[in-house]
Amino acid sequence: MNDPRPRAELPKVFELDRDPFLDDGLPDPVAARLDALERPGTRAIRRAARRPAAPQPGPRAHAPRPRPAPRPRATPALGEVELSPDPDLWDRLLPDRARRALASISHLVEGEGPFDRFGFSPEVARRTLPWFVALYRFWFRVQSSGHEHLPERGKAILAANHAGLLPFDGAMAVLDVLLHTDPPRLPRAIVDRWAGELPFVNVFYARVGQVVGTRENFADLLDDEQLVLVFPEGVDGIRKTIAQRYRLQGFRVGFVEQALRARAPIVPMAVVGSEDQAPILYDVKPLARALGLPVAPLTPTFPWLGPLGLLPYPVRYRIVYGEPLAFHERFGPEGADDARLVDYLARQVRSAVQKLIDRERT
Amino acid sequence: MTRALVTHADEPIGRRVVKRLFHDDRIDAIFALGDGPPPRAFDRFLAAGGPEVTYARVDLARHRSASDFFHSARFRAAEIDTVVHLPRHAPAADVSAPLAGGLSERTAEARLVVQHCLESTSVTSLVALGSAYVYRLHPGNANRLTETSELDLDPGVAPEIRSWIDADMIVHGEVHGDRLRVVLLRTPTVVAAGGFVYLNPALSPRSPRARVLGFDPICSVISDKDVAGAVLAAVCSRRSGIYNIAGREAVPLSVLARWTGHRTLPLPHTLLSWAGTGARWVGLGGRPFPGGDALRYGFTLDTRRAEHDLGFRPGDRIGLARAGDGTLRLETAASA
Repeated sequence: MNDPRPRAELPKVFELDRDPFLDDGLPDPVAARLDALERPGTRAIRRAARRPAAPQPGPRAHAPRPRPAPRPRATPALGEVELSPDPDLWDRLLPDRARRALASISHLVEGEGPFDRFGFSPEVARRTLPWFVALYRFWFRVQSSGHEHLPERGKAILAANHAGLLPFDGAMAVLDVLLHTDPPRLPRAIVDRWAGELPFVNVFYARVGQVVGTRENFADLLDDEQLVLVFPEGVDGIRKTIAQRYRLQGFRVGFVEQALRARAPIVPMAVVGSEDQAPILYDVKPLARALGLPVAPLTPTFPWLGPLGLLPYPVRYRIVYGEPLAFHERFGPEGADDARLVDYLARQVRSAVQKLIDRERT
Repeated sequence: MTRALVTHADEPIGRRVVKRLFHDDRIDAIFALGDGPPPRAFDRFLAAGGPEVTYARVDLARHRSASDFFHSARFRAAEIDTVVHLPRHAPAADVSAPLAGGLSERTAEARLVVQHCLESTSVTSLVALGSAYVYRLHPGNANRLTETSELDLDPGVAPEIRSWIDADMIVHGEVHGDRLRVVLLRTPTVVAAGGFVYLNPALSPRSPRARVLGFDPICSVISDKDVAGAVLAAVCSRRSGIYNIAGREAVPLSVLARWTGHRTLPLPHTLLSWAGTGARWVGLGGRPFPGGDALRYGFTLDTRRAEHDLGFRPGDRIGLARAGDGTLRLETAASA
């Protein structure tokens, strides 16, 4: 690609997210990169990232494995971010607040690469966000409350109920947190390991910031002071039939263990509406086992309408956040080694989520 | 002062390591080994002052050749105290000669180098460069692998990966020995300015350019300069052990392939497996056919141990930059 400017005027900068072999006819990538570098928001991000980290609690009595010191990282507030005066098509499809939120969280990607180490790409997020914002505003018409319980910064775990054939509840929860926090926070949703085996799905999940649920990944995210979204019901949540909706299944306990070890609060969260988006009339378990799927559902529309039957019904979502449960303050990291305590605390979280659901439904 | 021997010094990573050692004050002499004639880049090292540089052609995969060298008067006179064993990543010059014990080239080399280091009276340290693709990858593997992560001991693993694992285990077996100080550096995909890529099983120059449809694993990358820096740190350190080294960047395989100009064809995993089996049936088993979990499940590396023990910190950024002819190419540049 020939650049009209003399070579001497071109500073040596990195262009990261463009195909060097297929970019004929497109704008000069170096100039685009320069624009990005000169955005005031970027400077704000760098300035904020240089701020010292918040003081950590005292040395841990229980340290099962060495953890890195958290990186000094702070997300700039929405007001600190200035948007590009020349938005492209994808930017125009997004509301102003969503654009600012995306610009704010771009610091999650370290180094010069356009991806973080889990595969999250702000560019892919920018291109998918308009569709999900449209679903958020016009299809599910999400109403939410209790945002004051979301921590402004620092590690935390969001524990929510789970339902629906396709995980729109996760997408709406992530979007709701992103759009209602200032500085914006991107919850990293933990997905089941089998999702990592699904072609295309695994790539999409990774690019929009979701992470395969292993103990190491979970601990790494908390070490990075990130917000982690878990669905402790796991696949049992999406197997719920219409008769079981809004009745929480048994909770996995790993997230409580991680919360205690990392000294992270747990924020209970209820997503009301997701359990009506695709009510399962019957789960054909032998078929699910044969196909290696977690569920083989019969719904009023699936499989009768084919893939269209997987579309969620346009139910209204209501998302509520409860008061944070700071178990670590009382039990400390050593509590993670007590299986009965961990199980008990997981049931406490389940009870808190169930109460939120019941309150919201009535 | 250290007198170092560097294997495969005529290959790109070897040249970079020799250059780095040459410019370090703690290195007294460098004995470079290679398959071919001395690279032109060595001319100024061989002629200039500074550490004494010697070059010799030795095929380390053959028992006779390796034995002759390590028992030669020339090697004894050099009084080498540190051996830096770098992996071969280019095809062998003479593939028709029999390999030692029927092992793969890489495994045979590792075995012979370790054996001769143990036998030599002057050698006290061995620094070996291994691959991080020895780790077991599966849908639930951790994103960040540590040195204690499980190795892939599946018998069905691709021959290319198998040779890395075998070589790794040969060196690993001596890490806790008393005779030698052994440092094993496990490196992910190595990239160099100009779009060169090494030690990636999917982008190997000998394998067909294919990747698995529907998967795009995240690849940890490191620049060749940082690899040379890590080798130097290991040479000068008094530590022994296994260390992961990696740069700060991680990119998906498809992006890495584009950045380095390696067009890859996405094919269904089943089809790739069949093709790999078919290739072995028709006698193309020597060609590493891409397959296995390295093409589906990504990883990055936890380098905290190397940072703590060796003082290794990646100093290079990796990205695309405009080359002199106006095209965009992968470049590495020192961090500010």
